Amino acid sequence: MLNQSPEPPAMSKAILADLQAIVGADGIIIERNQLQTYECDGLTALRTLPAAVLLPRSREEVQAIIRICATHRIPFVARGAGTGLSGGALPALGGIVISFARMNRILSVDIPNQRVTVEPGVINAHITQRVAPFGYFYAPDPSSQSVCTIGGNVAENAGGAHCLKYGFTTTHVLALEVILPTGEFVHLGSPTADAPGYDLAGVFVGSEGTLGVATAITLRIVKKAETVQVLLAAYNSIAAAGQTVSDIIATSILPAAMEIMDRLSIEAAEASVHPNYPACDALLLVEIDGPIVEVDLHMQQVREICRKNGAWEDRLAQTELERHLVWKGRKAAFAAAGRLSPNYIVQDGVIPRTKLPILLEEIGSMAAATGLRVTNVFHAGDGNLHPIVLYNASIPGQEEIATDLSIRILHRCVDHGGSITGEHGVGKEKQQALGYMYSEPDLNTMQLVRCAFDPNHISNPDKLFPRPRLCGEKSGPYTPHPLETAGVAEYF
Amino acid sequence: MPHSTNLQTFADDLAAIIGPEHLRVEGGIFLVAPANNEEIAAILRYANENSISITPCGGGTKQRWGNPIQTSLMLHMHRLNSVREHTWQDMTCTVEAGCTWSSMQFVLAEHAQFVALDPVWPDRATIGGIAATNDSGSLRLRYGSLRDLIIGMTVVLADGTIARSGGKVVKNVAGYDLHKLMTGAFGTLGIITEITFRLHAIPKHAQTFTISSAAPEPLGQLLLKILDSHLSTQSLQLRSTTNGFNLDVRLATLPEVIHTQASSLTALAQGLHLSVADQDPNVWTARQQLFDQPASFLIKATMLPSDIPRIAATIQNLGGTSITQATGIMTASIPVSASSRLASLRQHLEALHGCLIILHSPADTTPITSSSPTDTLPLMREIKHRFDPNHILNPGRFLGGI
Repeated sequence: MLNQSPEPPAMSKAILADLQAIVGADGIIIERNQLQTYECDGLTALRTLPAAVLLPRSREEVQAIIRICATHRIPFVARGAGTGLSGGALPALGGIVISFARMNRILSVDIPNQRVTVEPGVINAHITQRVAPFGYFYAPDPSSQSVCTIGGNVAENAGGAHCLKYGFTTTHVLALEVILPTGEFVHLGSPTADAPGYDLAGVFVGSEGTLGVATAITLRIVKKAETVQVLLAAYNSIAAAGQTVSDIIATSILPAAMEIMDRLSIEAAEASVHPNYPACDALLLVEIDGPIVEVDLHMQQVREICRKNGAWEDRLAQTELERHLVWKGRKAAFAAAGRLSPNYIVQDGVIPRTKLPILLEEIGSMAAATGLRVTNVFHAGDGNLHPIVLYNASIPGQEEIATDLSIRILHRCVDHGGSITGEHGVGKEKQQALGYMYSEPDLNTMQLVRCAFDPNHISNPDKLFPRPRLCGEKSGPYTPHPLETAGVAEYF
Repeated sequence: MPHSTNLQTFADDLAAIIGPEHLRVEGGIFLVAPANNEEIAAILRYANENSISITPCGGGTKQRWGNPIQTSLMLHMHRLNSVREHTWQDMTCTVEAGCTWSSMQFVLAEHAQFVALDPVWPDRATIGGIAATNDSGSLRLRYGSLRDLIIGMTVVLADGTIARSGGKVVKNVAGYDLHKLMTGAFGTLGIITEITFRLHAIPKHAQTFTISSAAPEPLGQLLLKILDSHLSTQSLQLRSTTNGFNLDVRLATLPEVIHTQASSLTALAQGLHLSVADQDPNVWTARQQLFDQPASFLIKATMLPSDIPRIAATIQNLGGTSITQATGIMTASIPVSASSRLASLRQHLEALHGCLIILHSPADTTPITSSSPTDTLPLMREIKHRFDPNHILNPGRFLGGI
């Protein structure tokens, strides 16, 4: 069973009163049973009860909250829908959660210049809904897009199936209004290209809440393609599906998305949302969009490549409804894993595309050695794998074995020249793995940036980096920081 | 600047790091040409300890960009000039910073791939210098800027730390994107020594068209219509000419599709009473010619796409020449006679959410102030101070005197 969160250290009545004065009595949550909603995000294995949750309505309120946090050195974390999978929105012990549930307005839409400005609590899919009548869409499409918010997408640099062609959240963020951890209000980036000075917007996106809190975000929107086609191809082996992906890329066709699912994932998706997938060992899904004539010609070529690599069925989704169903099945893959096993861990490794067959073989033998099953779905076009480690937490020790296996898979991704995360973020879950991917000098250099933004280490502390480190601390063997010796600060 | 009595000691110490044949001293300035990261790290450690200021230098094409400064040591990167790997199946490449743009593209072209960017002086400018100045051209509309194309980087910091960020995969959200911070930082935070790029396939078929008009407004309208269309536009720029303006359009798609799209383009233009003519593709290097006028001010201005025709008209009224990409990035040369009006142009652009950066001032002119970061300047100074506490890396070269 999941552990109960430890009782948080009580926050002083005076501070709570100050916070309440900012957001009003209906903007603050301190009751334990209500706080439990905020004790974890999509990584439910880790839970910490916050001291308070605040629900500001404006940038001014956010700034006032963070000023109080800065004065009293109170850790804070921003929270959107809490769908993150790496514990990025997990509260710090004794810290507060700033929920953006009430800052969910689309502030402006500028179709001729192809940009929108939104508050961080706006749901990803709502942007596309708003601009679709003009023929536009917001491109990054994480599987949780119908509930996840832009603020969280910015923090995690969210991706999705279509970033192969359209890029990631960072590709689409033009400007941000940010409250720094010191309480200052700043503008990063610009609605126009190349704001003067360092590319702070580029560093902020994907910094997992460790550099401050965005209160408004200007995003690029993209013209919807003239037409879109989705192909399903069925194979007897993942290797053959993987080879098809490489062959498609080699012809210089750039599909909007290329996804592979293995047999277990296909069966789970089928049982869950009935997308009518062919029963096979590997399913390749190729979406091509663009001008009608071009899409037709490219799809012909793709189908030939599929058959050449042994696809025994290649089926075009004919209608908008069929296409929707195909994607619904794919995006339900994580949740559907619940049908295969009482518990599961979704991982998020990246490898150079060509290393896919060898890594799959390695995952197979590593899984066999532990006796656990691993099912795989991939954004195959960009080498982003989501191995799903299936386990039963009620069997003593199995959770530890599953966690260990999932981390060892990530290590193999790094060994092959890849990354420990393609879109879910490091968060609380993969802190130690980041130390496997980057050397001490690399991490110390990243710390320089963090300390410039957040010298007091209060913005989503103890995340991302392998070990919490105070600003000014030297690398090398552990030595207590002067503040620690003086009893002013401690590692938690 | 070191005291002259110390010059010989410094020269001896530097020669011990890189070998005497790779050191020259000219007018009290040390010119060093290290061979690898470790030598660069050793030079920086030494310079940092002795407070010797450093300017990294690739092809030297853009050394006059930014605030004019004089440092004690020029770090020449030409010995780090190899394309270390081109994993064409994965569509990535890793290149040393001193490699010229053209020689990299030559290697990549073997597999019909390229880094999808068209910077100025491709034959002489190096990877490192192009990244440090965040140059971009007409391809940015379709492929994005260096910020989107660079997926990994190695830098040497002022204290000699060799740090890597990103990696060799296109999709990667592990850790901070330090390479984005370094791109466009003019070498003030660290010295870029190696870059990993994501690659694109070179389009097999492209065709360029031009639409001309005496006034920029109808072309500005057409530009917005093209952005809003389904045309496979690779590049789109508004270019001023002696008797008006040209809108250049490059379509890149399959040969079977070009014909249909050319008709669509013609229909869009006709709706605005404009006509389309075939154009020579070398029109896409026209931006380079603006850089070959040392007697004029050279500026980079940014604006929303909908403001392009208005600003282009303003530049023409100043007697200047401009080329503006549909991304809203303008390069313009302005005669010295109009220099007094640059400040109000800058304010005008800033009011429109854009900015004006002076890339080059002609000799013997009063310096004109560029746009500066607004409320983020203290944070940028703090970052600079954390990365380079002794301010040895291109001190004062950057915006806001960083």
